[in-house]
Amino acid sequence: MANPLRLPMVPRALRNLVSRPATRRYPYEIRPRFEGARGTIEFDVETCNYCMLCMRRCPAAAITVVREDRIWSIEHLTCIGCNVCVEVCNKNSLSMAKESKPVHTHAEVGPQGQRPGHEEWHGPDPAIAAAAKAAAAAT
Amino acid sequence: MKRTIIPFGPQHPVLPEPLVLDLILEDERVVDAVPTIGYIHRGLEMMVERVEYTEMGFVAERICGICSFMHGMGYCVSLEAIMNVEVPERARWLRIIWAEISRVQSHLLWLGLGADAFGFENLFMHCWRMREEILDIFEKTTGGRIIHSVNRIGGVKRDVSDAELAAIVVKLEELGKAFEKTANVFGKDPSIRHRLSGVGVLSADDARAVDAVGPMARASGVVMDTRLSGTYGYDQVDFEPVTETAGDCLARVVVRMREVQQSIGLVRQAVEKMPKGEGMPLENKPRGNPVGETYTRLEQPRGEVLYYVKANGTKNLERFRARTPTFANIPAMIKLVRGCDLADVPNIILTIDPCISCTER
Amino acid sequence: MDREAFLARVGEYHKEGRRLALINVTTLVPAAAPAHGAKPEAAATEASVGETAAPDQFEITWVFENDKDATLEKIREQVGPADIIPSISEFFGAAFLYENEIHELFGLNVEGINLDLQGQLYKTATKVPFSHAAVKARLEALAAKTAAAAEAKATTEAKA
Repeated sequence: MANPLRLPMVPRALRNLVSRPATRRYPYEIRPRFEGARGTIEFDVETCNYCMLCMRRCPAAAITVVREDRIWSIEHLTCIGCNVCVEVCNKNSLSMAKESKPVHTHAEVGPQGQRPGHEEWHGPDPAIAAAAKAAAAAT
Repeated sequence: MKRTIIPFGPQHPVLPEPLVLDLILEDERVVDAVPTIGYIHRGLEMMVERVEYTEMGFVAERICGICSFMHGMGYCVSLEAIMNVEVPERARWLRIIWAEISRVQSHLLWLGLGADAFGFENLFMHCWRMREEILDIFEKTTGGRIIHSVNRIGGVKRDVSDAELAAIVVKLEELGKAFEKTANVFGKDPSIRHRLSGVGVLSADDARAVDAVGPMARASGVVMDTRLSGTYGYDQVDFEPVTETAGDCLARVVVRMREVQQSIGLVRQAVEKMPKGEGMPLENKPRGNPVGETYTRLEQPRGEVLYYVKANGTKNLERFRARTPTFANIPAMIKLVRGCDLADVPNIILTIDPCISCTER
Repeated sequence: MDREAFLARVGEYHKEGRRLALINVTTLVPAAAPAHGAKPEAAATEASVGETAAPDQFEITWVFENDKDATLEKIREQVGPADIIPSISEFFGAAFLYENEIHELFGLNVEGINLDLQGQLYKTATKVPFSHAAVKARLEALAAKTAAAAEAKATTEAKA
């Protein structure tokens, strides 16, 4: 039988008895994510020009863009958070939020929200947008 | 004597991975072992048929959750070799830094699992507490704790500021000092020595005969470290491969413990030697589709990994094959299990640091 | 393949103290399906990289590595699905895992493995997932899917 005082883990174990835990009390105390962490993709419907580059480059095929109907949609449950769409977007319409949302709330995110994780955005109709632009130019 | 067959795994308290060994026993002694894997075969190599080569890097990264950085890097290095893309210097150094930090992370994870396997749960918790600090470094610098997605063909996507790199070195050296106390427990505790010393001895000749790689081979005194060949910038840092001569389970633990300190030293050297400054080029974009084939070798935490990539000028590669370190170490594991006691089987299996996700892909 | 010469060469590498680094098999599928985005000029370069693509061939590469100078030596052979491949597990103990994998994923027959796992190594949904039939079936399904998507798009455009 080894002498317990000579066991190298004993001092550490004794210190553990009086020290604070190394973990957080998770649901009550949440560590904010660091700057630059990759969370959820956020879309800005105002600036997008529906060039479809994000759809073509997405490795997970999570993004669908229909240029004619001005629809941009993403499946958050398919998205792998690789940041490629944000890098290729030349209108800066896409951004990566550092927090990721709990999965079940995604259904409430988009205007439609038919199924969990599906987010869909409808841009202004091209004819209306052109008319508005022309009106803005006229004034 | 009557033989008994005991199925070991796929669910076993010490195994985080679904490995099955059919152990054939005579009394308490194992006389033979037949491995079966395949519970998590995902067919990642088949995915080259429909995933374009620019996107395959993200798939390669998901081969394994622990060496994910090195898998992504290995894929990108292979494609860079085929497409003749020069990686900017700062990007190359950043890759070395991240690779070495991920080695620290992997070894701490394994040391914790090892401690858990031989019943030292307190030690397990402390190893994982330290690993958590490394994961914080990853989240700060790459944006992800496990899947980093910073490697692209031709470079890396994110820069880390010089001030932050200096802070990382300070933090890692503090961690190294704290780890020394923990390492002391692994090396000196009589119960650990009793459990691991002299168990599962792999002699140097046997290690060569079954083509063991990585810490497994180095613990038996075989000097083999892919970093020694000096590729990918390792020729500009000074290091000696960590070797032990005993070849038993304890030697494999000690090799990994010393490699944690070695990797921390390599990160410090890399930060000192890399070109400083803001806004340096990090990526040279490749042009066209790849044509040709290449073999790439990297030293992962678990040992040497070998990638074979064959491209035929289309967007899809013809063949992508990753020979991971565990695949090379399974024959050594079977050799060790033959002739040992049933009670030692979990420790022997764990000390090869098995990663079945890597092995099956 | 020349069995005697092959085994003699493997034995030589073994004597030199090389390690077995990899046994790789590539399923040679003659022409890439158009769905892969193959350009006409790519097809020309393919011939220079690849081999004279006979129907239903596999390309096997044995890679041996030297630890001291980090060089790789390769033996490359082309075999058909019915050919029998000699096992090198008598020289390199680690070869059995590769050879069992070749048998299960590519359907090639390897003769004389020292630990034959009898098809127990992998549990795959498709038996022999890298055989020519399986690869072609997958590529055709992919091409059909792409074509169907393009057609659907064309019809919606025509309507608009």
